[in-house]
Amino acid sequence: MPPLALTLIHRLIASLVVLVGVSMLMFAIARVIPGDPARIALGPNATEAQVQALRRERHLDESLPRQYWEYVRELMHGNLGVSLYSNRPVRVDIAQYLPATLELVFAAGLTIVVIGLPVGVLSARYRGGLGDHLGRIASIMSVSTPAFVWGVILQLCFAYLWRLFPIEGRFTATLTPPPPVTGFFILDSLLAGDGGALLDSLHHLALPALALAMAGIGQTARLTRASMVDTYRKPFIEMAEAYGFRESRIANRYAFRPALVPVLTILGLDLAALLGNAFLVESVFGWPGLSRYGVEVILHKDLDAIVGTVLIIATAFLIANIVVDLLVALVNPRIRYAGGRS
Amino acid sequence: MTLSRRILGGAVASFLLQATPSFAEPLFRLDASAPGEADPDKGIDYIGSVLAFNLYDALVVPGQNGTPVAPHLATAWKIDDDDYIFTLRPDVKFHSGNIMTADDVVFSFKRLMALGKGNSPLFADRVASVTALDPHTVKFTLSGPYAPFLGAVARLPVLDSKLVMAHKADGKFGDMGDYGEAYLSSHDAGSGAYTLVSHVPESETNLAKFDGYFLGVPASAPDKVRIRYGLQPATVRELVASGQQDMTSQWLPPEVMRALAERKDTHLLTDRGSNILFLHMNTQKPPLDDVNCRLALTYAFDYATAMKLVQITDKVSAATPANGAIGKSEFGYNASLPMFAQDLNKAKDFLAKCKYKTPDERKLDITWITEVPAEEKIALLMKANFDSLGFQTTIKGAPWTLYTQQVTKPESTPSLSEVYIDAPTPDPDSILYNMYSSKSPPTWESASHLSDPEVDRLLDAGRKENDLAKRKAIYEQVEARLDAVAPAIFAGEVSGVFVGLNTFKLPPFEDDSKRFSAEEYGLQFRMVEMTK
Repeated sequence: MPPLALTLIHRLIASLVVLVGVSMLMFAIARVIPGDPARIALGPNATEAQVQALRRERHLDESLPRQYWEYVRELMHGNLGVSLYSNRPVRVDIAQYLPATLELVFAAGLTIVVIGLPVGVLSARYRGGLGDHLGRIASIMSVSTPAFVWGVILQLCFAYLWRLFPIEGRFTATLTPPPPVTGFFILDSLLAGDGGALLDSLHHLALPALALAMAGIGQTARLTRASMVDTYRKPFIEMAEAYGFRESRIANRYAFRPALVPVLTILGLDLAALLGNAFLVESVFGWPGLSRYGVEVILHKDLDAIVGTVLIIATAFLIANIVVDLLVALVNPRIRYAGGRS
Repeated sequence: MTLSRRILGGAVASFLLQATPSFAEPLFRLDASAPGEADPDKGIDYIGSVLAFNLYDALVVPGQNGTPVAPHLATAWKIDDDDYIFTLRPDVKFHSGNIMTADDVVFSFKRLMALGKGNSPLFADRVASVTALDPHTVKFTLSGPYAPFLGAVARLPVLDSKLVMAHKADGKFGDMGDYGEAYLSSHDAGSGAYTLVSHVPESETNLAKFDGYFLGVPASAPDKVRIRYGLQPATVRELVASGQQDMTSQWLPPEVMRALAERKDTHLLTDRGSNILFLHMNTQKPPLDDVNCRLALTYAFDYATAMKLVQITDKVSAATPANGAIGKSEFGYNASLPMFAQDLNKAKDFLAKCKYKTPDERKLDITWITEVPAEEKIALLMKANFDSLGFQTTIKGAPWTLYTQQVTKPESTPSLSEVYIDAPTPDPDSILYNMYSSKSPPTWESASHLSDPEVDRLLDAGRKENDLAKRKAIYEQVEARLDAVAPAIFAGEVSGVFVGLNTFKLPPFEDDSKRFSAEEYGLQFRMVEMTK
């Protein structure tokens, strides 16, 4: 079996174990949060009989292992339970909100790569120069300022004062959104061949994605620079310089590629962290995503929704890590040929 | 070429729409606290009730000027022992075009009770049967005397049974399938002044005017309404200031409200229903099991400063002084009682009569709900007031879920707990019985754990008396008795304060003579007058 396939199988098995662990942990933690979920859901005027009926319906009157077994049994049928908060199946809620969050996270991830990597490469190539110093200062600023502060700053300047972008939302209220196929407005606009909808989606996405990406841009730029500066000190770079290769060739071919391994690993973790940070940005920009939903269901002690949301986010985290592992293996032959042993 | 043109056109449209001022659109835009529930048999929060009142109608509605309820879908009703017989209007059309009949009322009641959510507790164990006597007459037979029933009927939305059953899916209700649960989570089946165009919980709801509304909708009312959920205060501030939102929710921090209220293009609106800030005192735990200690705290509390803490402008405050557990526009309000005010001499007199004398015996713990930051300021004010009287006070914040669990048992309930509570129906029983009758099972509302035979007797009498004048007298006595036994400090009558652009007026939130006896009912979009 090819080493890459072995790596993939190992990662998938490990991920499955992690997901089972996460589900058990979240199941227990959600039940430790104080408060009776049935009473919270039904309100103060509910009779004791109504509260008991809801407890029975949701198996809340049974032992924790029994509750977990019922949950897993339903999960096997693709049923994540019913939200006490929104009164809808958790699966429906997640299907509603997840694409918005993923669209935001992917856009932010793309922004990190498109801006962070080149800034890091240029800083390393012109290390010690004015551009390098400015790049490093900007990187530190972007890393040290939380995403929600960036959100408010960008919103205030570009949306409120200069009116260049919308203040909030995912689509202009008076326009018709693209027919839902994937739930990703950009993809759906492309599938529908609707240029107006595409531009409107991008127009709404730009500020939240940039706000979410800011810390990642700084971190990626700093890491890329540090990693490349380190690579520049390696003997093979000296050899390339001795051969008289052009600066751009040395930077792009010999210095950048080895430097990419740690950057890719951190990028993978960054992308996963974006799912968590998205809550604040979603709140500032009124972005109807899963992160905001996750916080609301925790506050309402909505047991099934808490576990369902965390499971989905954990799955996204694991997928991002697997993809990064594969990318790293593709970039680095030593890791690739070590296969599942790495 | 075609795609390029479309993209260019889209870009231009997108930018133009961002720059379009609010008065150019027949659209009323507001924000609300999430989630927003479209199914009227499930939503009990503020915006869930607002949606129900705008999309659906009930047999009766909250009244005005001290009247608890007024006719609506029912033109008249007759109370015969435990039977309530309603005569229905013959001219009410649902949004589908179906005519409303008594069968729809029977269906709506059965659906509400089968789902067991929303306002179903108002009727649980109270109604023995409901029957359609003819297409325009419906009879509810109660299982015993229960005068608050009429007020509860204001929270029974009537659904288009034919439309709901045409869209039923498989479910746990036998022949009724899912009782239209899936359908009604994003569609409406009402007869209200507005129809549901689209609904995404937590995100937004769009409504459109219903031209076939049986009471008619004024031309000045907005053609469309857009409600956004869960927006942050900073975002709302920018939206209003840039003319992209007409009205805020009531949950903005006071400093943001003040900033918006200072603008020349805005005005403030208030929803004065029946919301009281209760500072519950645990009557089962020392030192507040002694009524003299409770009364001492009642007179030590600085009501005037509490009002200032929630003052928005010189003219508008989020609270006004209260004289008891019943709000001014609520049925049963006792106008003869004086407004509460700090009186340290009286406080000291009562404290002298209190059986707990030593500092060790005069320890108090105060809990405030962490999701409501304004409560912390009131808690700090209480600490300052009570410590100066000789109590040792500690303050602790508790999240809502912990609070609800903590206060259901006297032994775990703090000495004082802060909570805003409004009555779910226009009848004072809907709040006072749960809170102060010792027969009512303990809930988060009953954190004082009062056990007073006179209060119990009066509350039971109020449930049995159908004569309006006699009922009013009973609740006036209830309010007076509660002031005497002091199960809580009635810190103020709380108003929901909203900021609105000067592009509209909403008389039930601006004109005292047009206010309704229940919160939320005033936010009816057909009563919004777009002025620009």
